[in-house]
Amino acid sequence: MFLLPASQFLNLFSALFSHYRRHPLQLLALALMIMLSTMLWTGVNYLTTQARASLGQSEQAVAARSQLERVDGQALTVADFVTLRRAGLCVMPWLEVERPGQAGRLVGIDPLAAGCFAQTAPAVGNNSPEPEESPATSKKPEPAWAPALNGEPFVDISEAAALAQNVAPRNVSLSLLIVPPEPASALPADYRMKGFSLGPDTGELGDSFLLNLDALGFLVLLITALLLRSVYQLGMAQRRDSFALLHRFGVIPSAINRVLLVEILLLALLSVVPGVWLGRLLAGTVSGGFGQALDSLFDTPLYAGQSENWLTPTVTMMAIVLVVCLAQNVRALLLRMAAGLPFALPAKLLTGFGLRPWPWLALPLAAVGLAMALLAQSLPLVFFAVALVFAATGIAAPFAIAALSASLARKTREPLARWRHTELGVMARRLALPLVALQFALAMVLAVQALVTVFEATFDEWLGQRLAADYFIEVPAGASANAAAQWLAAQPELAQRGDWHQVVRGVAQVPSADSQAKTVDLFALGPVSPLLTMWSLQAAGDQPWQGFAAGEGVMVNEQLARRYPLAVGDSLALTLADTRLELPVLAIYADYGRPAGEVLINLDLLPAGYVPEFESFSISPGASDIELITDDLQRLWQVDSVRVRDNKRIRELADAVFDQTFLLTRAMTFVTLVLAAVALLIMGWVFFSTRAWYFRLLQVWGLTRRQVLAQLGRLALTLTLSITLLALPLGVWLTWVLVHRINPLAFGWSLPMAIYPGFWLQLGVVSVLVGLSITLLMRSQLGGSGPKPVSAASLQGDER
Amino acid sequence: MTEPLLKVRGLCKHFASAGQTVNVLSGLELTLAPGESLALMGRSGSGKSTLLNILCGLERPDAGSVGIAGEHFAADSNANGQNQQRWAMLRRQRIGVVFQEANLMPALSLLDNVRLRARLAGQRDKHCGDWLTRLGIGELAQRYPDQVSGGQRQRAALAMVFAMRPSLILADEPTGSLDARTALEVADELFHQQAASGCALILATHDSALAARCGQRLDLAQLGA
Repeated sequence: MFLLPASQFLNLFSALFSHYRRHPLQLLALALMIMLSTMLWTGVNYLTTQARASLGQSEQAVAARSQLERVDGQALTVADFVTLRRAGLCVMPWLEVERPGQAGRLVGIDPLAAGCFAQTAPAVGNNSPEPEESPATSKKPEPAWAPALNGEPFVDISEAAALAQNVAPRNVSLSLLIVPPEPASALPADYRMKGFSLGPDTGELGDSFLLNLDALGFLVLLITALLLRSVYQLGMAQRRDSFALLHRFGVIPSAINRVLLVEILLLALLSVVPGVWLGRLLAGTVSGGFGQALDSLFDTPLYAGQSENWLTPTVTMMAIVLVVCLAQNVRALLLRMAAGLPFALPAKLLTGFGLRPWPWLALPLAAVGLAMALLAQSLPLVFFAVALVFAATGIAAPFAIAALSASLARKTREPLARWRHTELGVMARRLALPLVALQFALAMVLAVQALVTVFEATFDEWLGQRLAADYFIEVPAGASANAAAQWLAAQPELAQRGDWHQVVRGVAQVPSADSQAKTVDLFALGPVSPLLTMWSLQAAGDQPWQGFAAGEGVMVNEQLARRYPLAVGDSLALTLADTRLELPVLAIYADYGRPAGEVLINLDLLPAGYVPEFESFSISPGASDIELITDDLQRLWQVDSVRVRDNKRIRELADAVFDQTFLLTRAMTFVTLVLAAVALLIMGWVFFSTRAWYFRLLQVWGLTRRQVLAQLGRLALTLTLSITLLALPLGVWLTWVLVHRINPLAFGWSLPMAIYPGFWLQLGVVSVLVGLSITLLMRSQLGGSGPKPVSAASLQGDER
Repeated sequence: MTEPLLKVRGLCKHFASAGQTVNVLSGLELTLAPGESLALMGRSGSGKSTLLNILCGLERPDAGSVGIAGEHFAADSNANGQNQQRWAMLRRQRIGVVFQEANLMPALSLLDNVRLRARLAGQRDKHCGDWLTRLGIGELAQRYPDQVSGGQRQRAALAMVFAMRPSLILADEPTGSLDARTALEVADELFHQQAASGCALILATHDSALAARCGQRLDLAQLGA
C-alpha cells in the first residue's frame, strides 16, 4: 500500500494515529470542524443554487408575456377565444379570481388550450429567458404556462368560473394569453397584443440577493479553510516530535506523509459525508419559508426544492480539506518539482523569496486595496480590492495584537502583568489562523447585518413611497386617462379627504456622450399630491416639489444621475415625441430594484403627441368607496371591468419575500459566526491545555486557583475582545464597500451607509462568551495534575 | 533546640489504580529544622513527588497533618478553602519549589522570571540580577529559556527560588535531566546557596551521591506500602 508493505503501513498508521488516541478531543475537534465547515458551505451552496434556480423560474413566470385585448376596449369573452383559436392562433384563457376572505388568488386555466404553450415555450414572451436546466439536476423547471392542476393555486377554468360567480366583478379578471403569431399580421385586426405579467418582478433585487449569497459562500469557504488549517496545524505541531522519533527509527518522511494523507482522507470522508447531510438539512430548514414566500408572491410553485446531488459538495469539501491540511506537503512537492526546472523563479516564488511572513506586507496590501476599492470602476476590481484588504488585515491582526502586547510588556514594571502581556503575544501568534477566521467572520456578520438592516429600512421606506396610494387603477386600452383625471379632480369628497395622481409611463431620449440619443424611462406624474411629496430625496435644491409642480424642472433617479452623471441644478435635455425640453434637475430620488435610468416630470410637461406605454392612477380614496369610484370610471371609460390593484397586498407580498431572503442571509452569517466562535473556543481550549503547565506553575508559585483562573480569563477575554475590536473597522469598511461601491457598480443604485453600535455590542458579548467559555473549560484542567510540561527546548523560539 | 520548620505526623496517601488501592504513603512522620536538608530516596512511584506536592499544598493527604512555618494543616480539616489560601501564601512567600524541568515561564526572559517569582514572594526585585550572577548566569539575564542550555535553565530556576528568600526548598530531581558534570555544578550551587541562606531543603533524588550531601535521608521505598 502506497509502496509500503501492508503490515508496515498499518504499523506506521497505528503509531501515528496513537497521537489521536492520546488526544481524542483533538481528533473530535478536527472531525467536528470538517463536519461543521462542510455543513455550512453545503448549506450556503445549496441555498445559492436553489435560490438561483428559484429566481430563474420566477423570472420565467413573471417575464412579460403577451396577452390580447380588444381594440374597441370591450371585455374579452368566450367568443373571442373561439374566434382566435379558429384563426389558428395559440391562445389560452387565464381567469384570475381573488379568493373571498382569503389571501392569494386562484387562476383558472384550460389545460387543453395550454398544450400549444408548452410546445412553444421557449418562444413565449418578449423577454422570456431560455428555459434553464436546474444546475443540480437536469430536471426542467415547471413552466408557469403549464402548471399542474393541483388546485393550489391553479384550477380548471370551469372551477374558477364557478367561483367567480360569487365574488365582486372587480375581483375577477379574464385574460387571453397568446403566443405571438408569425407573422404579426396574422393577428385579426380587432385585437392587439400587450404585455402580461403574473406579478411584480424581483429583477435586480434577486440578482443582488444572489450576489450576496455567492460572496457569502466564498467568504464562508475562506473562513472554514482557515479554521480547518489552524486545527490541523495545531495537531501537527504536537506530533512533530513523534515524526522525528519515527525518522530516527528509520521511517522516511515520504512514508510518514503518505500515512498522513490516508489518515486525513479517511477523516475527511467520515466527516464530510455527514457534513453534507447536515448542510442539506440546514438549507432545507431555512429555505422552507423562502420557498413559501416565492410561491405566495408569484402564485406558482417556484421554489426549486433540493436536488439530489451529493457528489459536488462532497468532492469539493474533500478537496478543500486535503489542500488545506496538506498544504505543506503540496508545497514541498511543488518545490521538488520546481527544483528540477532549469530556471529558479518558480522555486523562489514558492518560498516567497526567502522572506518571512510578512507583517510589513500588510501595509502596501491595505493601501492598494483601499485605494482600489475607492477608485475602481468595475466589480471584479472591487472584489479584488476587498480580497487585498482582507489579506492585509489577516496578516496584520495577529501581528498587531502581538506587537501591542510586546509594547505593553515593555512598559509595565509589574512582572505578572508583563508575563500576561507576553503570553498574549504568544497566543496571538500561535492562534493566528483561528483568530483571523473569527475576525473575518465577525466583520462579515457585521457588514451583512448592517447591509440587511439598512436594506430593509430603505426598501421598506421606498416601497412605502411607491405604494403610498391605497389603490392602483390601470387605464384600459383606448380609454381616456385625461377624462378620468378631470372626473377625479371634480370629485369633492376625493379632493377634500383623498389623494390621487395620474401616472404615465413611457420613454424619453436623452443625448449621450457618443452623440447618439439614449432611451431612458419616463415617469410622468400629476397633480403633485401628498402621495408624492412624502418621497425622501437623495439630493435636492430648495423646495423641489413646488418647482416640480410648477413644471420648472425634472427629477432623475439615482441610476441616471450616476450614469450620466447629473447633479442637482444641472440641465437635462429631453426629447419627448418630437418635442425637445431642457430643464434643470430639481432633485435626485432613490429608485431601488432596477438598473434603468428614469426621469420624473410633471404630467403637464408632456407634449400632446406623446404616446404612453402605460397609464394608471394611484388613488387613496379617503372616505370614498373605491368600488364606487371604479364603477364610475368603468362607466366613464365604457368598459366591462377595470383592473384595480390593492397596494397593501402587493406590499405584504413583497415584504414577505424580502423578510425571508433577509432571514436567510442572517441565518447563514449567524451560523458562520457560531462556527468561527466554536472554532476559536476549541482552539483556545486546546492551546491553553498545552500551556496548562505554566498556569500550574503560577499555582506552585503561590497564586490560588481562583487567581490563576482570573489571569487565564483576562488573557482569553483580552484575546477575543482584541480580535473583535480589530474586526469592527473591517466590518464597517466592508459595509461601506457593499453599499457604496458594490451595489452602485452592480445595480446602479446605492444604499445609505449606516452603522449599528448596538450590534457591535452583541458581537462583543459573543467574544466575551468565547473567552469565558475557554476559561471555564480550563478550570477543570487547573485542578488536577497538569499535563506533562513542555520543555523549553522544544519551544523553538515561538515564545517571543 | 531549634523549633522545627516542618512537622509531619501520620501522613497517608493512597491512589486507586486499575481497581486496586496503592498506598504510597502510610503514616509518615517527619521533622525538619531550619537549615537542615533531607534527601528523599526511593524508586519511581514510591511517592517522592507526591510527598513534595503534599508538603507544598498542591495535593491533599488522606490522613495525617503537616505543620510548616507555624501553619498547621490537618487532612481531616473541613476548611478547604481557607487552607488553600494559607497554602498559597506559604508557597508564595516561604516555600520554593524546583522541578526537574520547566520551572520557567517560556515567554519571559531569565531575569523577568526571577523578578516575577521574587515579586510574588513580596521581595524587591532589584537583587534579582545578583542572584543570576551568583549562580553564574548573570550575562544571560536577558535571554529566554529556549535560548539557554538545560543546566543554565536549572540555575535560573534556583536563582528564582533563592530570590524569594524561602524558608523551605522542595526540589524534585532538580538535576535529573542534566549531564553528570552540569548536574554536579547545579547541585553545588544548590547546597552552597542553601547553606548560605539558612533555609531547609528537601531533595527528591535517585542519586545516592547527591543524597549523601544531605544531612538526613528518608527512603520512601522502605517506608512505603
